[in-house]
Amino acid sequence: MTDFQNQFNTLLDYWPEEDQSLRNLRHQAFEKFNELGLPTKKWEEWQFTDFSSFEKSDYRLSWTDDLPQLPREIPGRIPNTHLIFMINGHYQSQLSETPEGVTVSTGLDHFKSNPNHYSINKSDNPFLALNTAMMNSGVPILIDSDVIVEKPIQVIYLMTDFSEPLMNHPRFSFDIGKNAHATIVEHYMGVSDQKYFVNPVSQVTIGSNGSLDHVRIQDENESANHVATTKYILNSNSRLKATCFSSGGQLFRHDINLDFEGNGGEATINGLSLTENHQHHDQHVVVDHQNDACQSHQLFKYILADKSSGVFNGKVVVREHTKQTDADQSNKNLLLSPSALMNANPQLEIYAEDVKCTHGSTTGQIDKEALFYMRSRGLSKQKAIELIIGGFAKEILDPIKNVAVKNYISEKVARWLEEAIIHD
Amino acid sequence: MLEIKNLQAKVEDKEILKGINLTINPGELHAIMGRNGSGKSTLANVITGRDNYIVTEGSVTFKGVNLLDLSPEERALSGIFMSFQYPVVIPGVNNTYFLRAALNAKLKHQGLKEINAADFMRLIREKLKLVDMDEKYLSRAVNDGFSGGEKKRNEILQMLTIEPAFSILDETDSGLDIDALKIVAEGVNNFRNSERSFLAITHYQRLLEYMQPDFIHVLIDGKIVKSGDKSLALKLEEKGYSWLDS
Repeated sequence: MTDFQNQFNTLLDYWPEEDQSLRNLRHQAFEKFNELGLPTKKWEEWQFTDFSSFEKSDYRLSWTDDLPQLPREIPGRIPNTHLIFMINGHYQSQLSETPEGVTVSTGLDHFKSNPNHYSINKSDNPFLALNTAMMNSGVPILIDSDVIVEKPIQVIYLMTDFSEPLMNHPRFSFDIGKNAHATIVEHYMGVSDQKYFVNPVSQVTIGSNGSLDHVRIQDENESANHVATTKYILNSNSRLKATCFSSGGQLFRHDINLDFEGNGGEATINGLSLTENHQHHDQHVVVDHQNDACQSHQLFKYILADKSSGVFNGKVVVREHTKQTDADQSNKNLLLSPSALMNANPQLEIYAEDVKCTHGSTTGQIDKEALFYMRSRGLSKQKAIELIIGGFAKEILDPIKNVAVKNYISEKVARWLEEAIIHD
Repeated sequence: MLEIKNLQAKVEDKEILKGINLTINPGELHAIMGRNGSGKSTLANVITGRDNYIVTEGSVTFKGVNLLDLSPEERALSGIFMSFQYPVVIPGVNNTYFLRAALNAKLKHQGLKEINAADFMRLIREKLKLVDMDEKYLSRAVNDGFSGGEKKRNEILQMLTIEPAFSILDETDSGLDIDALKIVAEGVNNFRNSERSFLAITHYQRLLEYMQPDFIHVLIDGKIVKSGDKSLALKLEEKGYSWLDS
């Protein structure tokens, strides 16, 4: 079993000179983690995901010694993007580039100037608390006000060969200034077959009138555990277009929380999840409408093969006395195998009257009529299935504005489909 | 070209076809008429290879090959096409892409070079004119947001593009207004030649006013009870089917 206490002590020993206020935060957070413990089946919001594998694994934090020889070519590079690169948790500034108006800050500086982003809350889940206690990598990326970053920023968090099962607790902050615009690709990937645990927390803040296209790619290896929290804060009249593409991990859990902290915000959060073998993907989304005239749109799709399983839990909360809320939430799932399993639970909590809200969820198999129709035109069964599933995925991929990013993910989907259908 | 001998078939233990005999030669257009539930669509589905239709007796050969051993796509590649009674919507699959994939599957099967996107666009624009369809339908998903009539035209467009040797028109006239019906019929008529054969399935004589069938067959309770030339259609129109009931 992972000895989190021992790892925590090692971390404190490793940085003896650490800032006292940060150190206090770590202690508080670790206490919170100990108090909560790992989720069990009895926790309502966590009941469909089995965390018992954490008891069988012995993860340790990644240290400088775990920095491998750098790959000659960085895998997963999307052409025509700015790169921010981390390998086994270690930031490689010499391989990273930041365009004008963009700063990669340090965790400490960011914590000093935004302590509220790090403070422990009653509602925090154990993994968020664990991240705050052990945050050991990740970077804050700041986009100055009024800056339009033309090319996407691709943040690659790569896990590669290492001797023992590693864990990392990356903490990212993406602060988009007022009137600024950027596309950020937050890209997790694993290229070894070894087991590891990545527990990232990303805090995304969009200033008034700012906008962000956020593409999150979770392409860990199939033995990895990836548990993540993404917190979005949208200030007045800001816009978010988020796409979460996830195909990796043995166990993947992602909590997405979005707060409108000003009026007139608009957020779209889409997700596409592909699972095969025994993979398990669990995504929880909470969108909180606590201000007026905000719009939120969620569309999450899962394609599940073999004995894989998925969970989608989406909640839209519309607070009392808010006006002109427009929110929709949709979850559609395609089961490619009779052994695949999906748990969907879309929820609305509405405490105001001036709202337009819809939600829904469907789970089904490949449309047999469509399959026969296509085969009757001479397409092979394989090709027809690929086209039908590709068509299903398209609704998520199409809204991705940057063509290179869209193509990168589309190719991933196409390759996944070829494999998933062949061994089906 | 197509030879059906003593064909018997069932769906979910219900016997639908009870011994069909039918020979269609190159260049011929046959029409099958009959009431709802007489087995018309079942016949079409058995020929094209839809799941859940179980052949219990008899044979269907196409150009000398036993069709019943082939998958739906192998049947299509050997030259069989069906214009669906209810064309299927396929979300997210572009209509042009689908049409080109279908044509290329055939070209590849014949050992010919596949058609590139630019050449295909030239080809498809010509074909669109033949069924009076707007180019906007090319950029949509297959049958997505198409009206009933547009779907049927899209079926004929596919037929004109793939150029099958044998086409089944399954209730192609249903849901069409008279103008659309004329366009569709004209599309089929211009496509007819001495090599290509057709089987039109219909309730009404209406379609046959615009397409000249060589033979008309009346299907009642899974059997062809009467065959004749097109005067038979007029007689059916006048007298209904009951005079044929045994």
